Amino acid sequence: MTLTRETVHETLARTVQLVVPTIDAASVKPELTLSELGCNSIDRAEIVTLTIEELGLVVPVHEFQQGHSVDTLVEVMLRYA
Amino acid sequence: MNAGGSAVRITGLGFLGAPAGDVGGFTEALRTGRTALVPAPDGLGPALHAPAPSVGLGAATAAMPGLPEPVRLRALQAAGRSPQPVAASVVAALEAWLSAGLDREPLPPHRVGLVAAGNNTTEHYTEQARHRYLRNPVYLPARYGLHHQDTDCVATVSRVLATTGEGFTVGGASAGGNVALVQGCRLVETGAVDACLVIGVLHDLSPLQLRGYLTLGAMARAGEKDPPGVPFDRSHRGFSPGEAAAAVLLESARSAAARGVRPRAEIRGYHVGLDANNLADPSAAAEADAMRRALARAGADAAEVDYVNTHGTGSPLGDRTEIDALRAVFGDRIGAVRLNATKGLTGHCLGAAGVVEAVAVAVQLSEGFLHPDPGLTDPIAGDCRFVPAAAEHVECGLALSNGFGFGGFNTSVVFARSP
Repeated sequence: MTLTRETVHETLARTVQLVVPTIDAASVKPELTLSELGCNSIDRAEIVTLTIEELGLVVPVHEFQQGHSVDTLVEVMLRYA
Repeated sequence: MNAGGSAVRITGLGFLGAPAGDVGGFTEALRTGRTALVPAPDGLGPALHAPAPSVGLGAATAAMPGLPEPVRLRALQAAGRSPQPVAASVVAALEAWLSAGLDREPLPPHRVGLVAAGNNTTEHYTEQARHRYLRNPVYLPARYGLHHQDTDCVATVSRVLATTGEGFTVGGASAGGNVALVQGCRLVETGAVDACLVIGVLHDLSPLQLRGYLTLGAMARAGEKDPPGVPFDRSHRGFSPGEAAAAVLLESARSAAARGVRPRAEIRGYHVGLDANNLADPSAAAEADAMRRALARAGADAAEVDYVNTHGTGSPLGDRTEIDALRAVFGDRIGAVRLNATKGLTGHCLGAAGVVEAVAVAVQLSEGFLHPDPGLTDPIAGDCRFVPAAAEHVECGLALSNGFGFGGFNTSVVFARSP
C-alpha cells in the first residue's frame, strides 16, 4: 500500500496537536510553516521525528530545514516513502 | 550553634506518588498506616513495589485550588511532553509553592533557589529511547538531548515557577534527599536566597537498575514463599522500590515572618559525612557520628530527641546497623525515643526518600501524631520503641530524620516543631 499525501498530512497535523495541544489539527494548513502555527524549534523537531517514526519513513535530519511549509514537509516525506 | 531563632523554616510542602496525589492524602495514609506496597507483577523482579499512578499534568494542575492560570499554562507548556519523573516533580513543586503562599505573597525571582534531589533519574527514559533509536537513529526522541539530563527537572521547575535564583541537582544515592535539604538550608542560611524549594525527584527504575539492586541482594526478590518483612522486622530481606515526588520549601525566619506565613516545622541542624567506603556495607559508627554532629549543629542534646524517622529500608544489614547506631547515640534512652520507618508505607523512594520523609516528619510534628509501622510484628530489637500498630497521638518537639546511601553517605537532619 503506497503512502498518500492525505495520510502524511493527517499524521503530521495530528502530531502537531499532540506535541502542542493548543494548536488544533484542523488549523494545520498546507501553506503555513510550523513556526507560523506557533511551534518552537524543539516542537518542530519533535513533530517531524514522531511523524516519520509513525509512518515508518527514514528521512535524514538535514532535509527538514527551517522555514518549510507544511506542504513542503509532506513532499519531503513522500519522497522517502 | 542553632538554638532555633535562626532555624530554617519549612513553609511549603508538596507530594505526589504511590501513596497519594497530594500532602493531604499522604497525611491520611501516614495516619492510617496504609502501605502503598503491592506485589510486583513480574515473578523475576522485586517481590513488592509501590508504583506511582501515571501523572496527567492537565488533570493534576486543574485539581489544584488557587493555582493561577498563567502558572498552570506554563506547567503544561514546559512539562506537558516531559518524562513522568519530571511531571510528578512539577506537580509536587507546585503544591509546595502554593502551600507556602508564594502566589499571594511572592518573593523576587532571584531570591528563590531550587535544588533537586536525585541522581541517575533518567535511566529508564534512556532505555525507552534506546528502543526507538535501535529501530533507526533518526527516531531518537527529539527532546532526548534535554530530557536525558537529571538537570532537566531543575530547568523545568524553574520555568514553571519563573525562579532565577541559584539551582542545581544533588546526588547522594539513597541519602540524596537529605543531602539536598542540607544544600537548601545552606543557600538560605548564607543569604544567597530567601527561600529554597527542595524537590525529591520521582525515581522510576529502569530494568537494569532493578536488576542491579537485585543482584547485589539489596532489593527483596520475588519468588520466595513469604512476602518480605517490613523494615526492622525479623522477616525483612531487602528493600522494596517506591515511587514518589516530594517538595519542601525552606525559608529564612525573616522572610517567612515578612510574608506572614506560618511554618509547618523547622530545620535546626544537619550533617552529611562519608565513611571512606565505596561499597554498600554501612558503618554504625559513621551513622552514629552523623546523628551526633547534626544534633551538635542544632545545639541540642540526644536527650531532647522525641522521635527518629529512621532510614529503615528492610535491608537486614542496613536495619541492624542503624539500630546499633541509634543505641550508640541514645544509650539508656533507647527505650524512650520513638522510632518509625516511613519506607514501610511508601517503599524506598531512593534519591527522593529524604524529601518524602521530610514531608512526613513535618506533617507528623505539626499535626501531633506518629505513623505506625504496620507489619512490624517481630522487631529485631526488643529494646527499641517502635510506634505500634496504630498511629500514636503525641506532640513531638525534636526529631531526627536519617538517610544512609550506598557508597558511605551518612546523613541526619534535625527537625523541630514550630510553635
